[in-house]
Amino acid sequence: MKQEGVDQVKWLCDKCQRELELAKVKVRYMEGNFEVDLMKCPTCNQVYIDETLALGKMKEVEEGLEDK
Amino acid sequence: MNKKNMKRIISRTQSLCPVCLKKINAIIWIKNNETYMEKSCQEHGRFKSLLWRGSVPINKWVRNKIPATIKNPNTSVDKGCPYDCGLCADHRQNTCTALIEITQRCNLSCSFCFADAHGKVVDDLSLATIQAMYQSIMETSGNCNIQLSGGEPTLRDDLPAVIKLGHDIGFSFIQINTNGIRLGEDEAFVKQLKEAGLNSVFLQFDGTNDGIFEKLRGKPLLATKIKALENCQKYQIGVVLVPTLVADVNDDDLGNIIDFAVSWIPTVKGVHMQPASYFGRIPNLPVEEKRLTLGDVMDKIEKQNRKKIKTSNFTPPGCENARCSFHGNYIYQQNGELIPLNNSSGCCGTEKAEEGARKTKAHVSRKWSVNQMPMEINPAVEKIEEKSKDAWDEILDRINHYSFSLSAMAFQDVWNLDLDRVKDCCIHVATPKGELIPFCMYNLTNQDGQSLYRNQ
Repeated sequence: MKQEGVDQVKWLCDKCQRELELAKVKVRYMEGNFEVDLMKCPTCNQVYIDETLALGKMKEVEEGLEDK
Repeated sequence: MNKKNMKRIISRTQSLCPVCLKKINAIIWIKNNETYMEKSCQEHGRFKSLLWRGSVPINKWVRNKIPATIKNPNTSVDKGCPYDCGLCADHRQNTCTALIEITQRCNLSCSFCFADAHGKVVDDLSLATIQAMYQSIMETSGNCNIQLSGGEPTLRDDLPAVIKLGHDIGFSFIQINTNGIRLGEDEAFVKQLKEAGLNSVFLQFDGTNDGIFEKLRGKPLLATKIKALENCQKYQIGVVLVPTLVADVNDDDLGNIIDFAVSWIPTVKGVHMQPASYFGRIPNLPVEEKRLTLGDVMDKIEKQNRKKIKTSNFTPPGCENARCSFHGNYIYQQNGELIPLNNSSGCCGTEKAEEGARKTKAHVSRKWSVNQMPMEINPAVEKIEEKSKDAWDEILDRINHYSFSLSAMAFQDVWNLDLDRVKDCCIHVATPKGELIPFCMYNLTNQDGQSLYRNQ
């Protein structure tokens, strides 16, 4: 993935050279299915998860679902 | 001999004689789908007790752990388990929940009572004693979860001060174990408890009809319990419903109890079932065939519930001994379904007991408290966060407010006691002397009602 501009935060799929688009993506964690908006390549469907999301809300979800 | 008539020995352990409380050897054997403990005392004869029964095989109910070490043991190893409790250096698990019995007074006279509490006046622990106990727990076990118990803890008017004291000393999760009568009858008191920082109510809740309460508690209490729930809902205190399960009294009401609990989400965070154990005050000595084991309870839940809950949703604990409990976690969906959150982490390999205790403390504290109202029923939150709210927030809101748990814990009495399980215990009763006694050992009594630790 290449970052084009810091201000606009656009992302390009390195493999397909297509600009990522915000799209509904199904996320599955343990038995739970969730639908969320993520940046996705319209050609290969590869999803980009930025660090803020990975270490922020996504981590919070994982911790919230952690078993004892 | 036909194989069907054979007993397969699966382990050897040690137990106590139900008469003289001497340590004796025991074998654990399986026949068909029933697991028994058998032991004999040279003086008092042979004893047989049902440990497990049902469709979930006991030999699959395993979670191997690397034992934890007690960093600051309060007692030295002298006579050996279970006579040196305090905790001693031979104990294999840290404290997950520490109980403090802040009063022995009670406003009920239940047929089953661990503490054998009565209406009779015994001096309550002073605030100074409770403070010393909190400090002792903190030194031995750090910031574990605290359960204030009794007797009936809400009979103390200074319960809010007791809760605040615990938080001031550094305990982040404080729960009360209550029959809920005062919570139902005294709304102003519930408000005070919330303001003092009460995190969770462990509410005695044996069933969904008054016939059950009359049998187990001596009076109809359903309306009072509902009023207690309304008050906890109003002041946003998380509640766990805790049925004591007795065969032929309320073991056919599990499906109804689960439905009732679900109808009270998000105030009710789960149902924690306790099959009756035979210690303290009991109406009769155990009839082994009538015992409810964890296996029985799992099967009965699957059979009775209307929420597609399966025995396969349940896993053994990562903290205490596997045979002490089961639990299943769910997310309550807007369409009324319970989505099971099965976790494969306990399926294989060996885990650290210490890590199990850490996870359990965090899990209980997170799942059994109410921090704030969910977005969908709190218009203020909705308005402020409308723009920034996205699907991740909605998932988090669901996890944080609509998590639901079903769990059960089988306490050990003198008949089915396995000392190997005792060493893994993480629920400890604090004494005014500064000791921490594993819950079942603290409450254990012989067939004549004589205690091993309580009042000693």
